[in-house]
This record gives sequence, C-alpha cells and structure tokens, in this order.
Amino acid sequence: MTQTDADISTRSAPRPTPRRPMSLVALILFQALCSAFFVFDVIEDLSRGEVPLMHMLPEVGATIGLFVGILFEVRSLMVLLRRQAHMEKSLGVAAGALAELMEDYFRQWALTPSEADVAAFTIKGYSIAEIATLRGSAEGTVKTHLNAIYRKAGVQGRGQLVSLLIEDLLNAPLVPKDGMAGAEART
Amino acid sequence: MRVKVWDPVVRLFHWALVAAFLANAFLTRPGKELHQWVGYAVAGLIALRVIWGFIGTRHARFADFLPAPGAVLGQVQDMATGRKRRHEGHSPLGALMIFNLLFTMAGLAASGYAMTTVAFFGVEWVEEVHEMLVVWAELSVLVHVVAVVVESRRLGVNLPKSMVTGYKTLP
Repeated sequence: MTQTDADISTRSAPRPTPRRPMSLVALILFQALCSAFFVFDVIEDLSRGEVPLMHMLPEVGATIGLFVGILFEVRSLMVLLRRQAHMEKSLGVAAGALAELMEDYFRQWALTPSEADVAAFTIKGYSIAEIATLRGSAEGTVKTHLNAIYRKAGVQGRGQLVSLLIEDLLNAPLVPKDGMAGAEART
Repeated sequence: MRVKVWDPVVRLFHWALVAAFLANAFLTRPGKELHQWVGYAVAGLIALRVIWGFIGTRHARFADFLPAPGAVLGQVQDMATGRKRRHEGHSPLGALMIFNLLFTMAGLAASGYAMTTVAFFGVEWVEEVHEMLVVWAELSVLVHVVAVVVESRRLGVNLPKSMVTGYKTLP
C-alpha cells in the first residue's frame, strides 16, 4: 500500500500538537519578501545601466545579509520542528527532560536528521516495521539507519541505547534545582 | 503503484501556462500585439483553471488542496526529520505555490490589459505593478522548479513526469 495522508493520520503516530512556531515562520516569510524586494531593486538598477558603486554596495550587502539571516532562521526552525516531532504529546517534566536528553545525545553523536528520527522512534519502542511505515521508507533503510546509530553511539543494540538515557535520567534531577521538589528528589 | 492524479485539463493548463509565460517574459516584445494576445490567452487559462477548481476531478479541485497552516508546517517537519509522506495530489507547500502563481498570473494579465485601456494608458504605477509582478513571477517560477526537483528527489516520486503523463508512481 502507499502512504497517503489518511493512512498516517489514523495511526496513533507521534504527530505532535505543542504550539507551532508560527512566529518564526512568519518572520522567515517576511524576510523572504524583503529580500525579493531587494533582488527586484538590484535587477531594476542593473537594467537601467548606470550603476554607481556607492548605491549598489549597500543594496547588495543588505540582500546578502537578509539571505544569511533567512538561512539561519530556517535552520533553527528545522531544529525546533525536529525537537517537537520527537517529544511526547504529554509534555510532562519527564517527557521534556527525556526529549532534551535525546536531542543532546543525537547532536553529540552527529546523527543525520533521518537517523535522529529513527533513533527517537526506537527509544520509544517502535519496531522496525512500524518505524518504516511511520517514516514512509523501506525496512532495509531503517535497518541501515539503526546500524549507523548504534555505531555512532558505540552501543550494541536497542537495549543499550535506551539504558544510556535511563541512566542519565536517574542520575539527574527531574525538576530544576531551584524548585523545592528538586532539592528533595536529589539525594 | 501507478495512480491517476492529474486530468488532461490540469496538465494542458500547466504546460500552456508555461509556454505563454515564457513567451511573454522572453520572446514577445511588450506593447506589441502578439504580447497582448498571449496575455489574453493567460487570462483565459486562469479563468478556465478557476472554474475547473470547482467542478474538476478530485485532485484538480481547490477543496482538495486548500493550504492549512498546520499541514504546511507538518510538511516542513517531514523534511526536518527525513520522513517521506507522499501526497497523492498537491502537497501543502505545493498548494501555496499554486495559489501564489495563480494570483500572480491573474495580476499580470489584469495589469497588462489595463495598460491597453484609455483610462490607464501610460499611467506609471500600472506599468510598475506589471514589471514588479514579472519579477515576482520569475522568482516564483524559479522557486517552483527547484522545489519540484528537491521534492522529487526527497520522496522518490518523479513529479515533473506526473505532470506530463498524469500518473504518479507511488512506492
């Protein structure tokens, strides 16, 4: 069967519902419009023929600046969305802490976005077949990702991967230090 | 699995619009009669597509691809996580580009026609709007083509081919 929208949405897939980073998207769109305007302006100046350097330099500089800004914003939007995709729907303290821990490790191990996604599903206990369906890829692809994950993390298999996180969670306080509960939770 | 997605009207509209836009952007000379006739053709094509958007086949209808903010962000999230959710019809981001191009082309035709009328002949702001829309359309087309190539590679579905044959081959 093919993957269609209906297919996926009926599953209890981890399509996360926390607040969407709409303001960041709006900012990216706005800056894209601004840079389109500058590009238009530069093109118009060039088509006119006479272009004083003192006029062109700031314009070209501003355009490049905008593009770089957009690039960085898109990157942080991607990171944000990835993080959201790996969080549980219930945003308890533990879920938030676990997601943070996972993302930290994924960064440390330099996992690709796809590998990080597969790792997140694996830690949550999904089978290879289920992950393949959720990601719309072949099981062989998922296995390849898993091998890369285990190699980069330096573990033997799924059990060790999960125990890495559990260990860290048990050692660290679940509640920020300044909270009352935090002081008690820590021995 | 081969799925029929684009009916002949959608495909004809797409490639006719491509030809008309390329012709007027690069080949015909503004102000000449041919440029105007191609412009009328664009207006006709847009009108046809809008009507077809209400009475056409399943994936041709606007109701099938109205872009919802959540769905758009969902698609970006799919890209961020490397998930491959294949859409039978238009994807949410693709739908945004379609509406953008429809409005831009309609604006181009309208501002171009205005320049031929007595009331707006030689009026500067109308010409500027027309020129601005040309640049906007060219940028949009560029983004559209790049996006189609990127999405085809990401999803492993040959999207340009589906706009020719009408069939998408979904794994």
